[in-house]
Amino acid sequence: MNMLEVNDLSYSYPDGKPALRGVSMHAAEGECVGIVGPNGAGKSTLLLHLNGILPEDDSRHGKVVVCGDRITSANLHEVHRMVGLLFQDPDDQLFCPTVQEDVAFGPAQFGSPAGEIDRIVRESLAQVGLEGFERRSPHHLSGGEKQRVCLAGILACNPSILVLDEPTSDLDPRGRRELTRLIRGLPATRVIASHDLELVVDLCSRVYLLDGGEVVASGPAVEILSDEELMLAHGLEKPHSLQHRHPHP
Amino acid sequence: MRHDYIDRYARLDSPVHRLPAPLKLALALALVISTVVVPFSAFLYFVACALFLFSVILLARLPISFVAIRLLTLEPLAAGVAILAVMQPDGLFVLIRILVKTNLCLLTMVLLANTTPFAGILDVLRSLRVPPLLITVLALMYRYVFLLIDQSERMTRARKSRTFVPRRGSRWKSAAGIVGQLFVRSTERAERIYAAMTARGWR
Repeated sequence: MNMLEVNDLSYSYPDGKPALRGVSMHAAEGECVGIVGPNGAGKSTLLLHLNGILPEDDSRHGKVVVCGDRITSANLHEVHRMVGLLFQDPDDQLFCPTVQEDVAFGPAQFGSPAGEIDRIVRESLAQVGLEGFERRSPHHLSGGEKQRVCLAGILACNPSILVLDEPTSDLDPRGRRELTRLIRGLPATRVIASHDLELVVDLCSRVYLLDGGEVVASGPAVEILSDEELMLAHGLEKPHSLQHRHPHP
Repeated sequence: MRHDYIDRYARLDSPVHRLPAPLKLALALALVISTVVVPFSAFLYFVACALFLFSVILLARLPISFVAIRLLTLEPLAAGVAILAVMQPDGLFVLIRILVKTNLCLLTMVLLANTTPFAGILDVLRSLRVPPLLITVLALMYRYVFLLIDQSERMTRARKSRTFVPRRGSRWKSAAGIVGQLFVRSTERAERIYAAMTARGWR
């Protein structure tokens, strides 16, 4: 079954500039799908649609299908819980004064009983390898730690689909390696938008190449990302790890 | 860069830091109110108050220079009002009265902020049934004020590194630019934070 489906989605910003034109995509259960493309291709805008943050106008939902149900204004709250969204800048996402409160934010909003929340926070932090960080404040954390707390805050909501926007853009190689390992180990369906193509090759089985708000190409990750001509035409590069690998093993 | 000079010492370990936050908050509030209300003729009260606060500084192991600098940065607010008071009859006496009272109040608040983590203060407010929206606003303010300071410092540094002939006029102009930029960036960030809150179930 497809956990996530997008059917012919178009979107223009409030100033009239088109951002997405007829985008269709899907992700099967447990699959890890990559979305690649140059800056301004519409990757982030697409991701914001996947859990119903966009469009702002409630009557225009319905192009995105989550676990077999179209997003409508009625099931929006449930969609927020099922689709966990990791934002590009961890400082946007860590809005509470302590790590504890931040990780607890989602479960509290979704109505977990107060007695459960402490346990959920502890388990979520353990899952990202940050045991004992509860009383720390976000502005005293390193970039990698911030990103992992963000991930813990999303895992605490127990989502079935994870949507990650440029998860490695702020990280040093060690932080990147740890996050990659973490993401790989998660059972949820994952959608990753990134220009970190090594990460995409590493984690994703299929990719969609987005440019100018349109899906320009889609298919197996290795096949699409090895197409040097295609990559260069859309502001990307063939990843190093694929330089000497044949696309059809 | 990290900025914690607002409450740099809030997480120290001392007898004062270990006191429960509700007690400290209540004490600070009582002290501020009585300092405002007690007539200035009760001079002994103010001496006692000052001695008490001073002993708190020592007990909390806060560097005196730090407390003094924090107090000085807040001084323009107090001094502004006090100087206006000089205009009236008996002005000098009023000036001293205002300065003593405001400084004692400010010192109390500086000590509270630097012996109690902000999250602890919020917990107390929450248990006092302060409206949740107000607490959310306070929490967000505390979370992002450091980021704002950071951002403005980065922009100032970037401006300095490209200023070759410093002139007063151009400096004011670029300062205005920085303020404008900060405002635009903050509204954009506010939108992203709101999206992030919605994504985790805020409504």
